[in-house]
Amino acid sequence: MPKLLVCYKWVLNEQDIKIRPEDLSLDTSRAKGKISDFDRNAIEEASLIVEQQGGTVDALSYGTPAVKQSVKDALSRGPNRLLWIGDPQAEDADALVIANVLAAAIRKAGPYDLILCGEGSSDMFYQQTPARLAALLGLPCVTFVAKMTLEGDVLKATRKLGDCTEQVSVTGPAVVSVLSEINKPRIPSLKQVLGAAKKPSEEIAIGSLGLAADELQPRAVRKSAKGFLMNRKNIIFKESDAAANVAKLVASLAAEGLA
Amino acid sequence: MSILLTEEQQLIGQSARDFAKEYLEPMVLEMDRTGQYPAAVVKQLAAQDFLGLFLAGEYGGAEAGYVSLVEVVENLSRVSAAVASIMVNHALAAYAIQRWGSPEQKKTCLPKLAAGEVLGAFAVFEHGPTPGVGAGALMATKLPEGWALKGTKAFVRNAGVAGAYVVLACTDPAAGAKSLAAFIVNAKASGLTVGAPYETMGLKGCPMADLVFDNVMVTDTAILGGSTDGSAIMTETLALASVAEAAQTVGIGQAAVEHAAAYAKTRIQFGRPIASLQAIQTLLAEVAADCHLARLGLRYAAQLMDDGEPFLVEAAMVKQFLARFGAKMLIDTVQVEGGFGYSETMPLPRLFRDIAGTTLLEAPADYPEKTIAAALLA
Repeated sequence: MPKLLVCYKWVLNEQDIKIRPEDLSLDTSRAKGKISDFDRNAIEEASLIVEQQGGTVDALSYGTPAVKQSVKDALSRGPNRLLWIGDPQAEDADALVIANVLAAAIRKAGPYDLILCGEGSSDMFYQQTPARLAALLGLPCVTFVAKMTLEGDVLKATRKLGDCTEQVSVTGPAVVSVLSEINKPRIPSLKQVLGAAKKPSEEIAIGSLGLAADELQPRAVRKSAKGFLMNRKNIIFKESDAAANVAKLVASLAAEGLA
Repeated sequence: MSILLTEEQQLIGQSARDFAKEYLEPMVLEMDRTGQYPAAVVKQLAAQDFLGLFLAGEYGGAEAGYVSLVEVVENLSRVSAAVASIMVNHALAAYAIQRWGSPEQKKTCLPKLAAGEVLGAFAVFEHGPTPGVGAGALMATKLPEGWALKGTKAFVRNAGVAGAYVVLACTDPAAGAKSLAAFIVNAKASGLTVGAPYETMGLKGCPMADLVFDNVMVTDTAILGGSTDGSAIMTETLALASVAEAAQTVGIGQAAVEHAAAYAKTRIQFGRPIASLQAIQTLLAEVAADCHLARLGLRYAAQLMDDGEPFLVEAAMVKQFLARFGAKMLIDTVQVEGGFGYSETMPLPRLFRDIAGTTLLEAPADYPEKTIAAALLA
């Protein structure tokens, strides 16, 4: 019976983030959290494998203490158990720190036959966590997975690479990162939502992972995050001759480098 | 009591929003155009546990409670109030059976209702002024082998697609409305026919028709609660209808104000978005405030139900509030969108028709002010 782990990130819902027009800074004061989009696909894929073949799925998340809010949401999507690490420093964590923490937690809670991640997170989309995690754990890494099957300890996957696909076969344990097209994440039913409270969840203290201060020190530091607003040109072509208007429009687009 | 949603209730609301986006958005316009009953979507409602939402676990229900019910109804109604209306009428029948049914009635009916194998319908209204009064009133005549039902129930939602009806019938012509009893009637009962479907103004897709009873025979065990005093069943179930339909109204109003706000930000007049005009801002702010206050009121009533407290007065209050402000939400949001908003290419006309159906149907047998005043003056 496979023992799977799925990693996910609790991010702000981008639909709730407003851009302040005066300085384009982000107003996140009314933004709610959600499980990162690609990670939902990873959770769904792990849950489907276990529902079809048996076994267990643990879910693991590292984030600020707000990550605790994700526990029931994540468990309602299929995992049997949830492990979470709430750390105020996670606000500034880069991909290196995230991978260091997740790898340490996996060493503590594992071993696992397969570790699934989303291809990238909805907020930063660094796409580094799965590869870094595999390197830290000394495991093979299969990225951009659009389709996969697990037969015993052999993972067969279809990787989608730009204009071609690649079929790969890997003997586990391994780290896999999935694309959104791999499945359609479930909408938890009421019984799944209410049943989540009965599943075990456990907080792992960051201090218990044995990480050195250097491993928790981000190398990439975000200086600022600003929104992007597209302003209208407010140009109206008012010639009575439609052809002339079209010619002016094309010339205007060409001047903008668009035609 | 807390008016704030629990974590589970928030997740249930999110599930309903996701469900509406996934299953209702793709079909809502076509359903509004054709009036076709959305059988496939109703199956999905069952798979999501929405049809057994508040029913007890021993009958296959989710035991999610009534605050969860109004969360689901509001979020479905943001996209399709017609689908929400199908669910609400089913819920009324399920509620009546769970609340007043005998152990045998519950065991027979509730698992099928919870699983969606059978859709329920609650049939209370008639063409006369009140059930049990006037020509065509549904009369129940006691016979040695049971009861014979004869007459007509009017404007029954889910008529023709439901498998089980909870119907109120008059058991004593002399006593009229004071001798109502509730019966569980199988849709396949001999002598029961469904009238031609009403061509309705809104809520298209939620079927509505008369039920015609021509000496339909039911056994004594079909009486809900085993009593011929069905007035409490009617009053309390219609109070739940008031709360659930308030959630429907708020869902429609919220969808309308969000659409109008988005439109106001992109519609340019006088060289600037109309959202910058104070008159537009006032209209939008009033609708948003009405939605918010109504939501608090109906959640409060639903929480009373979850706590097992009396809720009839609070249900009447939300009914009365939205009878005044429900349609106004749409008048104001259409006003924001002007000529475009009036066009059927935009969603507001459909929402306008749906909110009319929602606030008109399933009104309490007594006007809500009577219930409120009675409590105040007692």
